[in-house]
Amino acid sequence: MSDLSGSELLALAQAALARAGEAEAEVVLRSARRGFARFAMGELGQHMELREPRALVRVARGLCVAQASTNLLDEAAIVRVLEDAARAAERVPETPGFPGFASASEPKGDSPPRFAPATRDMSADTRADLVATVLRTISAEGLVGAGALETRTSSLAVATTRGRLVSHDGTAAQFKVWALETPGAGGAAGCGGTIHRDVHALDLVGETERAIRICRTSKDPASLDAGTYDVVLEPAAVAELVEWLGTIAFAATAVEQGTSALRGRIGERITGESITMVESPLDDGPFGLATPFDREGIWRRRVPLIERGVARGVLYDRAAASRMGAESTGSALLIDGEGDGSIGPSAIAMDGGSAESVDELIAGVSRGLYICRLHYVNGLMDPRRAVMTGLTRDGCFLIENGKISRPVGNMRFTDSFLEGLARTDGMTRSRQAVATAWSDAGAHIVPAIRMRGFRFNGKSQVV
Amino acid sequence: MSTGFAFPDQALRAALSELSRAADVRYGEVHFVDERTERLEVKDGRPEVVTSGTRVGASVRVLGAKTWGFACTSDLSEAGVVTAARQALAVARASSRVAHSTVVFPPQPAAVGTYETPLTIDPFTVPLAEKLAALDAPVRALLAFGKPVQSAEASMDWTRIHKCMLSTEGSDTRQSFTYGACGMQVTAVDDEGHAQCRSYPVAVGGNGFQAGYERIAGLDLLAHTSRIAEEARDLLLAPPCPSGVTDVILDASQMGLQIHESCGHPTELDRALGSEISLAGGSFLQPGLLDTFRYGSSLVNLVADATTPTGLGTFGWDDEGTPAGKHALVREGMFVDYLSSRETAAALGRASTGTMRAEGYNRTPLIRMINVSLEPGTGTLEEIIADTTDGIYLETNKSWSIDDLRLNFQFSCELAWEIKGGKRTRLLQNPLYMGITPAFWRGCDAIGGPSEWRLLGIDNCGKGDPMQLMHVAHGASPSRFRDVTVGALGARS
Repeated sequence: MSDLSGSELLALAQAALARAGEAEAEVVLRSARRGFARFAMGELGQHMELREPRALVRVARGLCVAQASTNLLDEAAIVRVLEDAARAAERVPETPGFPGFASASEPKGDSPPRFAPATRDMSADTRADLVATVLRTISAEGLVGAGALETRTSSLAVATTRGRLVSHDGTAAQFKVWALETPGAGGAAGCGGTIHRDVHALDLVGETERAIRICRTSKDPASLDAGTYDVVLEPAAVAELVEWLGTIAFAATAVEQGTSALRGRIGERITGESITMVESPLDDGPFGLATPFDREGIWRRRVPLIERGVARGVLYDRAAASRMGAESTGSALLIDGEGDGSIGPSAIAMDGGSAESVDELIAGVSRGLYICRLHYVNGLMDPRRAVMTGLTRDGCFLIENGKISRPVGNMRFTDSFLEGLARTDGMTRSRQAVATAWSDAGAHIVPAIRMRGFRFNGKSQVV
Repeated sequence: MSTGFAFPDQALRAALSELSRAADVRYGEVHFVDERTERLEVKDGRPEVVTSGTRVGASVRVLGAKTWGFACTSDLSEAGVVTAARQALAVARASSRVAHSTVVFPPQPAAVGTYETPLTIDPFTVPLAEKLAALDAPVRALLAFGKPVQSAEASMDWTRIHKCMLSTEGSDTRQSFTYGACGMQVTAVDDEGHAQCRSYPVAVGGNGFQAGYERIAGLDLLAHTSRIAEEARDLLLAPPCPSGVTDVILDASQMGLQIHESCGHPTELDRALGSEISLAGGSFLQPGLLDTFRYGSSLVNLVADATTPTGLGTFGWDDEGTPAGKHALVREGMFVDYLSSRETAAALGRASTGTMRAEGYNRTPLIRMINVSLEPGTGTLEEIIADTTDGIYLETNKSWSIDDLRLNFQFSCELAWEIKGGKRTRLLQNPLYMGITPAFWRGCDAIGGPSEWRLLGIDNCGKGDPMQLMHVAHGASPSRFRDVTVGALGARS
């Protein structure tokens, strides 16, 4: 079975809708081909050619709605799941306020650039050769290499019986690399990573050198006591906290449930004046990765979330918008993993500041921590305050008198991210695209930041 | 030999023949997976999610001259599966060309047989309306509680998987699984916007099991609505958990989460050896510590058991043909073995403990937890509480975080009770506890008996890159740990 393009998927969706004959239905089709070269222990051990086709349909009978899916992208299979959904829709209670599926009159914009033929065309042999070069570079430094190089081609189409017809083709290439003192036993570690739609735009050499540099400077860490420290967070660390904020605060359903930090606070200051975050899915620059429309076929919108510290808006799908008297922002998550039925951001862009470099941020810290990445952040503790906990990983350094003085062991933080952002007094002008960790939505675009008085309540220990 | 399911044998055998003909193939597997799912969720009186799904396909994992290749397809024609076999072989050749070392993969007797989940009521034959009503009734009861209840939801998940594996060693296993999960949650919000949640039987989608619809009646969601609504209300008024060092007693479900994060993951041998760095990290339990390292107190016996009745980690064979078994991981407190695969176990000169599983047809098998459980001790929860002078009792996980070597953990729970003089004295809100894994387990001085032992099913254990979600389970009784750091969530500025 060959991989279908967006326009081919759209034609298939229309044909299935016509054959099923449902009065009110929606068909979402996706095909994805992923070449995934995962390396560890200095070897390319898990190299995979993956296919992820999926058809997701919804059928409504009045206000009664049901959904069904299959991974078989042929007309007969899609008609079968439309019939399954129709049977289920006859048996479910009404969903008050169900707005119906998207119509042809919904706004539709220009598709931003999202496709790179080189990414689509990369072979297993080429991926293996690129990884081999990375591993040789790391090995030559007496370190152990790990990571992954992925090339992904995906297509998406949404068709509804109300005439909404949209399709899309995109590519994404992602590179993650670790240089390690030991393969799996801990010790010094450095990490690099980059994502772009064009695999040739990935700086494999630069990111590998960065991982090696961090690893080499992380050896023999000191043990630092828990306490409150000023911190300089690299973009990878900032993005992980921002992604959690996207999960617990920015979805309209979290506002409805009463757990979002933005509930009842739109228009109020919720964090520092220097903080602006915007859902920016239609970015047509090099960072652009998100699909231009959502799972319901609604063109994504630019949505100010926090503007100069003031809560400005949250993200809606059609159902939540209908219940809450708002308009959909095109934020129904795509059909991967746990995303079905959820609302979330696809590309949060956080404004940068005026610092020309991370070193400039470090220079403003008399005693604190420079943190390259975070690990296992969890934001479910007290979402109303956006309290998060997690640990440092792959590079944590003590700053003394405006300079990095020595590596320190990994530390556990537990603090409110929004309150921490209120104490942020420096950000780099330049920003980086950091791949989303828990979905394949794309990337968040964030600067490095300097946050005062971040609370650490524990540290890792060696056995 | 049959599970009653019609597997596409001809296409699978053609793919296997394709592998067998290649001179550089040292070993190969062809997998077929047919997965059917249903998810139902009722929230605030409306059907929030009513969805069903199917996912069917074949995959090929092949060991070439030096290393592995993997490919998959949803095209189940003979040509489709054979093409996947050729792609897997091409990937194995591309990777072998740049490999330095050669994978050691010990031979194993062919696995042949069938396995099927024992069940009484097939959940896929129960009318949809009946299942939705079973969720709607408790949600309405929770909402009827009135202020401060803000939101209520209940959910039910069903999964049926038919899978088979054929290998170049002659293995031919056919297995059919039925998994379920069910639970509910209520959120109470006070006038100042503070929120508290309570769940039953556990949070995050409910408790998972391998059984049929008969399990739903036993849960009796409706009977627990008043209690959790009252507890959510009372938590809004309760004082925060005081900070300090004290004795903690964990309920069986939180024990399951504790085992999952601080024993299950660090005993995965692929993590320990270093192959999971690109997502999860490594492990403090390095091979040099086997048989010599005191992981916990002498009361602590942790086992990996793929034969536990109703466990989400129960099966006939893992995905490389190793039969289900029961293996000690920690015996009387000493670290004695890993969750392993044929390749990783061989690196230590041991036999596989049979834990290789893939999420679905389009993912490669990895070492995954099966049923990793704490063997029961003696006594009841109430007897442990009565025996505790000063401490806290915690129920129902709320958040979880642990470092990349699985040493420094911090977990919070929905609810805690202060214990003074052997009695529950007052409710405490936002409790958390933290520790360093071996120090924590060495402080374990009481484990409840068999009557208190419960199996926690988790259907979303994430591992691998790309991420795979897996069904796993953990059995445990309420247990006590001495001198643990506790506190309340976060610091208010």
